[in-house]
Amino acid sequence: MAGETVTATVHIDAPPERVYEYFTRPEAIVRWMGDYAVLEPEPGGQFTVDVKGAPVRGRFLHLDPPHCLLISWGYAGSDRLPPGTSTLQVRFTAEGSGTRVILEHRDLPPAERAGHASGWTHYLARLAMAPTGNPGPDPGMPAPDAAQL
Amino acid sequence: MSEAAFHALAEPHRRGILRLLRGQPRSVNEIAEQFDITQQAVSQHLKVLRDAGLVAVRPQGQRRLYIVRPEGLAGLRDFLAEFWPDNLQRLKQAVESGEPANDGA
Repeated sequence: MAGETVTATVHIDAPPERVYEYFTRPEAIVRWMGDYAVLEPEPGGQFTVDVKGAPVRGRFLHLDPPHCLLISWGYAGSDRLPPGTSTLQVRFTAEGSGTRVILEHRDLPPAERAGHASGWTHYLARLAMAPTGNPGPDPGMPAPDAAQL
Repeated sequence: MSEAAFHALAEPHRRGILRLLRGQPRSVNEIAEQFDITQQAVSQHLKVLRDAGLVAVRPQGQRRLYIVRPEGLAGLRDFLAEFWPDNLQRLKQAVESGEPANDGA
């Protein structure tokens, strides 16, 4: 399971108790991530969120309200990250009058090949600038057929 | 990045479709409305994108919605490295926008 980790953090102007709820209550989580959620915030309880149609399926592994959450994270039907494979750790720390959220998404499968690592935005931008080499057969763009009308 | 994915992305409409689907899942009709090409052409582009593993279909009621496969492009890690900062910003906005997520809200 030794894989890669993605880390992200944010400061939120609200106390940890309140931020914590946005990970454990369905009606709160869908206000920032996903459009459907079933959450059972207890050890072993399900963590189900559909994020833009992508079916995230996992379980609450450890809960220490309002300080820390450990959640397993995978995608139903995914070959590369099926449910149970990766782990999300979210820590909530008081910072000033607000909360520092530190998120670590661990145990991600390593990239297939170093050097091919480029995010969506970067890759699409690069490709848009590149000359179109060999476009190959293009199934799109049927010829105008106004003559048939 | 597979050959199929590279080929799929070498066409501007298909890149446009991917950008559109990144925002939210959409049906063929909804995608076609955004481009000056026929629905038939959009369907063909979607087939290429599906074969390349870049998009998938999710049935929702009577509709078939197209979504971006989270692990479709170069790497899952790269996807998540953009996904989490974006989503934490959304979290920040949601929490700070006021209304506490209380019972019976």
